[in-house]
Amino acid sequence: MTKQTLIKTIARTLDEEMARDDRVVVLGQDVGKRGGVFLATENLFDKYGPDRVMDTPLSEAAIIGTAVGMATYGLRPVAEIQFADYVFPGFDQLVSQAAKLRYRSGAAFTAPMVVRMPSGGGVGGGHHHSQNPETHFVHTPGLKVVYPSGPLDARGLLLSAIRDEDPVVFMEPKRLYRSIREDIPDGEGEPIPFGKASIRARGDDVLLVSYGASMDETMKAHAELVDQGINATVIDLRSLMPWDEETVLNEAARIGRVVLVSEAVHTAGFMAEIAATIAEQVLDSLLAPPLRVSGFDTPYPYAQDRQYLPGPNRILRAVQRALDY
Amino acid sequence: MIKDAQRFQPFSEKPITLISPSGDWTGRFELDLSDEQLLLFYRDMLRGRIVDERLRKLRYQGVTSFVAPSSGQEAAQIGIAHAFRVGFDWIYPYYRDTALVMAMGLPLVEFLGQMMGTRADTAKGRQMPAHPGSRELNMFTVASPIASHIAPAAGTAIAMKLRESGQTVITTFGDGATSEGDFHAGINFAGVKGAPIVFACQNNGYAISADYNHQTASESIAIKAKAYGMPGYLVDGMDVLASYYVMKQAVEQAREGIGPSLVELQVYRYGAHSTDDDDSIYRPREELDAWLKRDPLERFERFLKKRDLWDDATVEADREAIEAEIAAAVEQSEASGKVPFDWVFDDVLAEPTPHLLRQKGELDT
Repeated sequence: MTKQTLIKTIARTLDEEMARDDRVVVLGQDVGKRGGVFLATENLFDKYGPDRVMDTPLSEAAIIGTAVGMATYGLRPVAEIQFADYVFPGFDQLVSQAAKLRYRSGAAFTAPMVVRMPSGGGVGGGHHHSQNPETHFVHTPGLKVVYPSGPLDARGLLLSAIRDEDPVVFMEPKRLYRSIREDIPDGEGEPIPFGKASIRARGDDVLLVSYGASMDETMKAHAELVDQGINATVIDLRSLMPWDEETVLNEAARIGRVVLVSEAVHTAGFMAEIAATIAEQVLDSLLAPPLRVSGFDTPYPYAQDRQYLPGPNRILRAVQRALDY
Repeated sequence: MIKDAQRFQPFSEKPITLISPSGDWTGRFELDLSDEQLLLFYRDMLRGRIVDERLRKLRYQGVTSFVAPSSGQEAAQIGIAHAFRVGFDWIYPYYRDTALVMAMGLPLVEFLGQMMGTRADTAKGRQMPAHPGSRELNMFTVASPIASHIAPAAGTAIAMKLRESGQTVITTFGDGATSEGDFHAGINFAGVKGAPIVFACQNNGYAISADYNHQTASESIAIKAKAYGMPGYLVDGMDVLASYYVMKQAVEQAREGIGPSLVELQVYRYGAHSTDDDDSIYRPREELDAWLKRDPLERFERFLKKRDLWDDATVEADREAIEAEIAAAVEQSEASGKVPFDWVFDDVLAEPTPHLLRQKGELDT
């Protein structure tokens, strides 16, 4: 058992997968000697060399596009996009090639690949270093979308992503890279299947649903609720496509009051999908309308970085509204 | 293996040509193709031409909904098709490669199945016509977004180099594709990696209505190779032997580890962009007429006649055989039946998500 940060856990997991399977290659800007700007690929270059740890030109279209060609040829590329905000020059490769390859070829060709991307705000990066673009990917059939909230989940989900037969967008909550440490068991990791949420706390008063970076704020809100004598069930979705409808609906129906937390832009965000599904499926069991706590419909700001994030106070206010309804 | 004396130099001012307009061999090396191979080249070109013409009729009969005419580009496409090892090397083609994919041996019934969206389509009717692909032939399924296959093609070549497989990638595209970011992304990275790939641009002078001068101010497409650190070859793509020999050299250079190349094959699109396009709006008739005088089949016919390889009866028999082959394939494709609607739910992911299964279930209720 070792207490490890998120970033070290990702580097370690990549290392173990590269050792286990020689089809696994890593590519991206600065992933080689530099070990990645966040050090997610630290030491891999020395261990596996430039053929399997590829520094690429500064081109997201080249990174994702060539990963598609490597994957369909038989490799298992893990591409790094330095910041999720920079995925857009490679967006067409994800949407038009990776996502549709299996479908448009009748499964003659497939693209089993992972695109890792540090995501989310709270790092003083302004709108081009802070975004959460997950909805774009969820809205594209043919992609899987994963957004772990801490080291242990990141390990299990990354193992599943690399071994998956389909392209996986793997979003990483970069403001938590070094702030959370969790016990990582020694030895081989256990893959966490996609579409299985984790219940982080159990209570009967209100249901909090979140994922990724926002889990940290949600758990802080939960701790305050405990102090106030309010017992929340907290669900970490872990993956958004597929997402664990069963767990969410069961808990929503059981508790009847739901608060959905995501720091992504509010309108048409992923939580709108969850709210709509809850309304469609278990409306009769609800005691209050599902409430969203989210980022605002603005580009992500720089100077107001922390206030922009839906923090514990906004979550607590929403919980109160749900309880008072 | 191409001998050194035979090697073409990159960045020539004029397009490399090996057959004169009157049909004479002008190469400075000895032609090393057998009579049978030369006749096969002609037959492949003829087959490409006839299939293309027949497809357009099928469009107007409503049998297919879209055709991207390939007539005029046969010499380039047949030259490409014979320059690599089909089924061993990989090809990333584009949507106007009818003659090429036919010559590679894509079964006509599969091709027509794709054109008609029937069960004969190995891709299950998922894409609009003119988007073939084949796992058996290592033929990456065509995608509509222009140039989007070029970066994946480079990726496959990089993977081949990593695996030391001895394979090569050939990717084809038009002149318009060279303006896209994905062209730059793919060719630039391939150059950096010295990946075994040949970028074969069939420059037919038009991207729908945008002519070459609206596409680029570059004196040629071939010369762009210089900026990517690789040789660029300018080829008369109406000359099947020039197309073949230059492509063969480029493929061998890739296979030998010398590196990638860009080959610009100058051709002309005799038809409109597609069967939904009217080229008379933007293209002068005199220009088309001038290029029709350079018809790649006719030039090669003159070449074969000068070598006493031409036989009217054989060509006529070939023509009839090809027509019969097409008629049979259309019938077979039709007979395979319509693609059932619930196939739309397959192959989104390896395993369908619960959400998708529920949507599929809603069909029945």
